[in-house]
Amino acid sequence: MNDQELLNNILLNSTFESKKSEMDEFTILYITKLVSDIILYVDADISLGDITFCDSYNLEHEVSQEITGIPSAYSALDGNIKVLTAFAESYSNLGIAEFDSLCRESLLDFLNLHNGLFVVELSEKNICELSLGVPKHGNSYEIKPTSNLHGHITLIPITFSYGTITFVLLRTS
Amino acid sequence: MNKENASILICDDSILARKSMSGILNSLGFSNIREVSNGQAAVDAVKDEPTDIVFLDIIMPVKDGISATKEIKEISPNTAVIICSSVGTQKHLREAIKAGAKDFIQKPVEATMVKQVIDHITV
Repeated sequence: MNDQELLNNILLNSTFESKKSEMDEFTILYITKLVSDIILYVDADISLGDITFCDSYNLEHEVSQEITGIPSAYSALDGNIKVLTAFAESYSNLGIAEFDSLCRESLLDFLNLHNGLFVVELSEKNICELSLGVPKHGNSYEIKPTSNLHGHITLIPITFSYGTITFVLLRTS
Repeated sequence: MNKENASILICDDSILARKSMSGILNSLGFSNIREVSNGQAAVDAVKDEPTDIVFLDIIMPVKDGISATKEIKEISPNTAVIICSSVGTQKHLREAIKAGAKDFIQKPVEATMVKQVIDHITV
């Protein structure tokens, strides 16, 4: 099975198709590109869990990046320390065994890579020209509805052999 | 410019990106390599020491890669600036070239791409 077939398979074996009507084109493209990038750069043995929507969400450890332009969005990834550490190691192959600064750097690097490739894809498809903010990490962080909130927060759980990471996307304009 | 004395600066806020690029350059035979983590530090580093090639990310804290490229080219017109970013859109490419960048490498960086760009510069 090649990467494209694997991507189609993962998307078809999830709630992605049935939830499409609740998502805008930006979010659909974001999720598709996210799964594709994880297959390419992290791990092909994954499944996409139930995509859900909410109005507020508490990140255990903020690893985030703004997608700037029109439309704009807030993106983040979340999970427990053990799973985030395993993900960071799987992506970087640097021998990461603890949730330390190198682990956080690795998570930020993946988010920045994926968001960058997503922005490139939107540009190449002549959908829009966007840019990115500086990726950042911090302690626990609550994403709350604000005046510029555009729709709901989309939670995208990706399950690996070592646990689940929730990717978060919030359209801000 | 030869590999023994070529002075190369890697500027990226991601330590992973710096490690990766540094490893690739070492494998290509370059040894005079410095690393910094933001655009202002890159400008300062070029002021401090003659630099042949700068590999520069776009999205960085303090000063972004496009602004840094303009300043580096003013300080040191012969320094070749290579933008190295995950955000390789036409808009960013145009801005990079306008600022004076010589070439662009789309992340994730591969050794063959880096070699190709360096070969192009040194022709």
